[in-house]
Amino acid sequence: MNGKTVLVIPCSGMGKVHGLIGREATYMAVEDLAPDRADTICLAMLVKGEPAALTTVRKHTCITLDGCPKACARKNVEMAGGEVAKAIRIVDAFRNHRGAQPGTATTLAEDGWVIAREIAENVVEEINRICKGMEDMQ
Amino acid sequence: MSAETVKVGIISCSGEEIPGGAISRLAARRVLELLRPNSTVTICLPLFLAGNEAEQDFARTHPTIVVDGCDKRCAKWGTEQYSGPVNAALVVEDVIGADRLSKCHRSLRNQNADDEEAVRILADRISEEVDAILAMENGAAIENASPKECVCSCSSPIPASLLTIDGERVEIPGLMLIFEQCMKKEVSMGEKGSEELLRTVQVYHPIETDKEPAYREALMNAYREYFRSHQFVPLSSIR
Repeated sequence: MNGKTVLVIPCSGMGKVHGLIGREATYMAVEDLAPDRADTICLAMLVKGEPAALTTVRKHTCITLDGCPKACARKNVEMAGGEVAKAIRIVDAFRNHRGAQPGTATTLAEDGWVIAREIAENVVEEINRICKGMEDMQ
Repeated sequence: MSAETVKVGIISCSGEEIPGGAISRLAARRVLELLRPNSTVTICLPLFLAGNEAEQDFARTHPTIVVDGCDKRCAKWGTEQYSGPVNAALVVEDVIGADRLSKCHRSLRNQNADDEEAVRILADRISEEVDAILAMENGAAIENASPKECVCSCSSPIPASLLTIDGERVEIPGLMLIFEQCMKKEVSMGEKGSEELLRTVQVYHPIETDKEPAYREALMNAYREYFRSHQFVPLSSIR
């Protein structure tokens, strides 16, 4: 993590496009938009109870992105003892994109990339808010 | 579980942090969508913790293959811990090699021909595991006990094996020797490999043209089982 403040954790959704959008939004946020402040971690490592992953999650503020109502990312972070500052549901982003053709569980179409970008920007807004809050406290 | 209803479960780690996770997930999807769409199902790994009892029963109700993106083997561990024992456990690097994996990416935005090749190789391997499991489930197992002997063209006796083809038990001379040679030659588990198996068996065993498809399928199933039994690594040894 090297001093990064926020962990962005998407679900591992395999069956629908929503999981893929969540992951790509995460990569946009942690690789392109806020690489100095945020990183990601494998959700599966939390499922396994990997000690290093548990420590990392407990030491950082987390933003979760879930592709379905099962909310695996949020629930697994909470079960691991992590603090979820914001739990994003991918389905909510679709409300502004009625009739969108986002792609499939395997690949994103143009609409899917647009939605992913929008979510990534929301994630970064939240990252900025969290970082500012921490700076104000210091 | 009847042969008609058997579906093999594929659980990929999906590791969001690493390229191996993306490759495991995309390969699983390729098998589900293109290679074995009628005989495979999946479930998201973290759902074991977040889901209900029915979801946690996944590996108890399906023969299951887990595909891990790194040697932490979270998918294998998580599945066995929360759901049940698995039938096969693959690790991306073991299948595609470290060099190829080092050229792969975690985001779709960066993926290229290297990623596609890695996905293809891994998906083919998963499909082979699916076929092997289904062959076992469907009772296409080769019967190799008490081999009888027959005489080959040079009059040297060679052991024969029994195979069930189209519901009939057929004796095939030298089948184990053929499989042994095919394994050494790394004959593939795909269409090309089944053709090579058929042609090799035909040298000592006449096959009517209309029966070739059934022979091809049965031979490949038996070859897969032979391959597995000579490659199998007990799960306990990779914990």
